[in-house]
Amino acid sequence: MNTTKTSPSMSFFKKTFVCFIYVAFLHLLCEGAIAKLEVNTINLPKSIGNWTRFDAPREINSENIFAYMNGAGELYLAYRFQHLEVFEYTFGNQNNIVVELYYMETSDDAFGLLSLDWSGEPVFFEESPANTAIQPPATPLRGLYGAGLLRIWSDTIYARVLADRETPASKHTVLTLGRLIAAKRERPPEPELFRCPPEKIGSAWDLRKDRMSFFRSYLVLNSIYYLSEKDILDLDLSAEAVIVPYETMSNAAERKRSQFLLIKYEDRERARNALTHFHNAYLPEYSREFTTDSTHGKPILFELEDGWLGYKRIGNYVAIVFECPDRESAGTIIQKTESNLMTRGGDHEKK
Amino acid sequence: MKKNRPVLTRRDFIRGTIGATIGTSIFGLDWPQREANAISSSMVTVVRDKRAMDSSKNVDAKILDKMLAQTLTKVTGQNNSKDAWQSLLKPDDMIGLVPTQHLNPTHKEVIDAVKNSLMAAGFAKEKIKLAQGGPNEPKECTALIALPALKAHWLTGIGTVLKNYIMYSGNPSRYHKSNSSKLGEIWNFPFVKGKTKLVLVDSLYPLCDKGPQPDPRYKWAYNGLIAGMDPVAVETVGLKIITEKRKALRGEPWPLTPPPICVEAADTVYGLGTSRTEAITIEPYGWETDLLL
Repeated sequence: MNTTKTSPSMSFFKKTFVCFIYVAFLHLLCEGAIAKLEVNTINLPKSIGNWTRFDAPREINSENIFAYMNGAGELYLAYRFQHLEVFEYTFGNQNNIVVELYYMETSDDAFGLLSLDWSGEPVFFEESPANTAIQPPATPLRGLYGAGLLRIWSDTIYARVLADRETPASKHTVLTLGRLIAAKRERPPEPELFRCPPEKIGSAWDLRKDRMSFFRSYLVLNSIYYLSEKDILDLDLSAEAVIVPYETMSNAAERKRSQFLLIKYEDRERARNALTHFHNAYLPEYSREFTTDSTHGKPILFELEDGWLGYKRIGNYVAIVFECPDRESAGTIIQKTESNLMTRGGDHEKK
Repeated sequence: MKKNRPVLTRRDFIRGTIGATIGTSIFGLDWPQREANAISSSMVTVVRDKRAMDSSKNVDAKILDKMLAQTLTKVTGQNNSKDAWQSLLKPDDMIGLVPTQHLNPTHKEVIDAVKNSLMAAGFAKEKIKLAQGGPNEPKECTALIALPALKAHWLTGIGTVLKNYIMYSGNPSRYHKSNSSKLGEIWNFPFVKGKTKLVLVDSLYPLCDKGPQPDPRYKWAYNGLIAGMDPVAVETVGLKIITEKRKALRGEPWPLTPPPICVEAADTVYGLGTSRTEAITIEPYGWETDLLL
């Protein structure tokens, strides 16, 4: 057998070269990881104004979150929660400031937490974003302040900065901490689904954007609009959903309101099954009239105790309107949303 | 053929069929629908004093002592705090005070006021303990004084009286999600049942939304103590105050969501007291502004 022998000096050269490549590769890998870590790590100052913090933050994960905040932990687990860091700033024996940094898997999850309540004084963080290319044309709200509490959506972080007592000094410090948290971080746009419901339906119905929320869990849905004690829409962390009221002011004395729910499932099969589950649980008396596949044709409408309910599956989306005062409006809200989804493209138009 | 349990939905609230559906959804269709508890009337006192807290929310202990004394005499019909406590408790009782410890906790001043009042009534310091925690806490007591703080709760609507014993279950997450309607069950555990002699709700600075995490936008100085011997009736009155505050904040009805199913279940399923407002006598005393009742 013919074999090629390598000289000792050549072998040494080869080994050295391989080692060099390996070390260089490791270096690049670590640099990338460190850079990523730096982007996703918030370095808060040891002291700010009259407040000084403990050295290390308290680390909370999905295992010990209930010990930290009891049942409130379910809220964060209902989004894609990774971990929480808690910094406590003290000023003598009173008026502490607590900073909670919730690290979420995606920006959409952090946004969803902010979207649960749009009340408060808008706060704008003026630092230049790390990547201006992804700045959306209309800047969404990223910070809201009220009565000592600042809530922030900053890329994959949702933050709460809370002063025990609101004073001019504590407010200044809370807002300064907010700016430090948001500094040099990406500013992704709102979730795509958030922009799907039409802002106006004809001349009568206006979308209440200040009451519009993004979520993934039936627990969160129930905390906004109670539907059922069980998860009758098969929601989980793979789903995306928005709920928003539409209001009509045609008669100022009697404002009318409908609730609109739009859910995006992983695929059409899940959407179809979820709609079937919803129908069976919520509309059991209409079982004979029900068709599981409403992608083609008009929305299916029912007159219930609190008004008209309409639904339609649109590919892997499910649109449902509740409490509509008339049949026509219920159908129109869904059809207009479907048109919006068509305009935005995707595979939802296919059966 | 095995029948499916009905699922409680929004439509049950609109149709007024919640009571029946709660029973069947918790226990199944074969469970016999029980009558509401035999309690015909439950009195709940609401004692308020606008000086109970200053503008920085510091509690005035002296004012609080007076509010507590008034509460005790009104709830029991006795002439003074000493007689009131002695009508509620036996001399050899091991008394457990059960405050909310964490996330909008019961004010320390309220716990201290109760403890001091008990000692002034002749109960030994060694016989009074803080009894919030796991199942061993109530097992070591012969009498419990529930001292929760009034707050809305994002999972259960309200997270005050009934939820105050959740740690006694030894497995609190078992009562999360749809099982929160079963919170009343804990009050019927053999080592808890019948031990609660007084429910005294710290309503000095309640939270009407986003609980249990503190959110100062939804806290307000109510400066009150709500009390009674029927835990469901006391919870119902707290619920009414929170609901009215929410309405006042938004200028339109802003119902708690999810609806506090555990309160009605505590009445109709677990027989702990009454949630029917027509069966509750509310006795307000003191500061009347924004009473919300």
